[in-house]
Amino acid sequence: MMSRTQTAGSKPSAVSRALARDRLGVPAVLGFVLAGVAPLTVAAGVIPTAYATTGLTAIPAAFLVVAVILGIFAAGYVAMARRITNSGAFYAFVARGLGRPAGVAAALVALVAYTFLQVGLYGALGPAAASEAAEHLHVHAAWWQWALGAWVVIAVLGLLRVDITGWVLGVLLTAEILVIIAETLSGLAHPAGGHLSFATLSPAGVASAGFGTFGVLAVVAVLGFVGFEQAPVLAEEARDARRTIPAATYAALGMIAVVYAGASWAMAAHAGQSQVVTAAGRQGPGLLFGLGGNGLSQAAQFLFLTSLFAAALAFHNVVWRYIYALGRENVLPAALGRTGGNNIPKTASLTQSLTGLATIGIYAAAGWNPMARLFFWLGTTGGFGILLLLTLTAAAVILFFARDPHGENAWRRLIAPALAATLLAGVVVLAVKNYHTLLGVPPGDLAAWALPASYAAAAAIGLGWGLILKLWRPRTYAAIGLGAHAITGQLTPSTERAPS
Amino acid sequence: MAQLSGTGRLADDLFLMAHSDVTGKPLLQPRAIGLGLAGALLAELMLSGRICAGPDGVAVADPTPPWEELARVILGALLSEREQRPVGDWLLFLARTAVADVARRLAQSGYLARVAGRRGWRGGRWVPVDADCAFAPLVRVRPALVPSRPVTVPAACLAGLAAACGLAPRMFSYAPPNATRRCLDEAVGRLDPVLRHLITQTQAAVDSAVLSLRV
Repeated sequence: MMSRTQTAGSKPSAVSRALARDRLGVPAVLGFVLAGVAPLTVAAGVIPTAYATTGLTAIPAAFLVVAVILGIFAAGYVAMARRITNSGAFYAFVARGLGRPAGVAAALVALVAYTFLQVGLYGALGPAAASEAAEHLHVHAAWWQWALGAWVVIAVLGLLRVDITGWVLGVLLTAEILVIIAETLSGLAHPAGGHLSFATLSPAGVASAGFGTFGVLAVVAVLGFVGFEQAPVLAEEARDARRTIPAATYAALGMIAVVYAGASWAMAAHAGQSQVVTAAGRQGPGLLFGLGGNGLSQAAQFLFLTSLFAAALAFHNVVWRYIYALGRENVLPAALGRTGGNNIPKTASLTQSLTGLATIGIYAAAGWNPMARLFFWLGTTGGFGILLLLTLTAAAVILFFARDPHGENAWRRLIAPALAATLLAGVVVLAVKNYHTLLGVPPGDLAAWALPASYAAAAAIGLGWGLILKLWRPRTYAAIGLGAHAITGQLTPSTERAPS
Repeated sequence: MAQLSGTGRLADDLFLMAHSDVTGKPLLQPRAIGLGLAGALLAELMLSGRICAGPDGVAVADPTPPWEELARVILGALLSEREQRPVGDWLLFLARTAVADVARRLAQSGYLARVAGRRGWRGGRWVPVDADCAFAPLVRVRPALVPSRPVTVPAACLAGLAAACGLAPRMFSYAPPNATRRCLDEAVGRLDPVLRHLITQTQAAVDSAVLSLRV
């Protein structure tokens, strides 16, 4: 009990040792990150739909190229994450680096992006559940009815603050990754025409259909990597923040890149590079499932369902955490930052759930295709939003360290973020100009400018609100970006202040 | 022997507030209760003048051992640390064992009794011996919630810490109709800066735990 600590005075701090025991190592942080990434959702959901909608075949190469860019980005990102509180949120970086009004703009952009990502998942969850139920249970219901059912479960779990963690998460993730690898190997072993082509892996292919298509491919790839940026959420819980967070971040990037590049390559190799787009249009997620035998395919289809569900719950948690943190800061109404009985942030959770319900309702009423227009359109637009945030964060890292190097070397505080910011900004520009290709619509289509414009609107509202707060409520303004620490004004996490 | 006036100790009152007065079941997440009780234990030492918290961290002002056992053990831990640590670190450290320690203290004072679990291998639960005495802290805290009632420092401190770990809905549901959040904030605002700092640090620790989903 407590009395043991009295005799520990001569050894290294009893408090340090006790607190370290509580803390998370790399595997736990990595698991948390990969949960949000949801490998099978991307491998069976995003990749085939991307092939079909964009008509581009250099998707495997795109994953590899984007992995390198994100790896460069991560160098400065994790270095700054150690130095700020509330490092789980991009807007905290932007607020500390580019100023508080920009921080509020980034917060709203992030809210929109993660919301798109979460509600978009229902567009895949509904159809996947419907087809599984039709095949195995002989129950036939519309996609949106299944989507609503899933929505109810997630809304309730969100209110109960349930998160899929621990061994359940570990089992699911391991199974997903193993299934993808198995399908990949099977697909590579049976290439179209008996001859395995490496063409889709070649980085040169990324610009083959015109330089602008790299922007489109990069958005798809970034969508696959979304979630890797969540590692700093656990910074204050990590055993050795200096090493655990970067290690988990790079491990996640590496694993994701290999798994997705491999899976998308196998799909293209198995169908044949010239056929893969039509095959994807016909089979959808079946493009991945069909790479292996029947047993593997059945297992993959079931795990696809659980993966989508886990991802929807994980992103529900990301969105309410943003809402809650902004409510704690009083940037959003304070009611959103309050917990009800049992420390449950009810209002934040319910708010996110309501946006999901509204979206399912709109798509069901309008009769739009859920996989293409809800899952892929909103999902990739969410990915585009993350791309914007990555660019802003890279710029924020540079300015943060320009004011005070905090002892970091030039690579981490300047060269890497500058390189990343330039590359990412270039990708953003290319993506905006070719957004119609991403959505698979004719140039000038309403969706092709309205979807990216939603971010411009969010950023403008955020900037304006930030400036209003500066004039109207200076105390709130001063605490922007601090999240839970808004109440204490603490700028640096305690793990950084005390010498370890 | 349980009395309506309580043990007079902050952490004891907070424990009773955070658990059902009838069944003893916790009304908050485990980590939130732990952090709240840790704050209350530190507040007890601050109120008795043994410790104070400055910008460099928590320091011992008066090393005379308190006569109460748990306070003595905590003061000993503070004295045996070579360097000053911020309030947040001490909250996390004490939160690990606070619930068990305070429960044991309340049992020794006659407010809680151990009831064996239904399944033999599962540890039992702490149940209040007298439901009215267990409810009493919610009444003691009321002056801090209503306007123009004189508030004692311990009552304001208790109210502030209870709100910090998430008991505000409970406090207000048993408070008179003219109770407002603003009165609570004002009562806490009139406290000594050191106590206020402790309360805000407790709040931040609980919010961080909620945000990182490790509550």
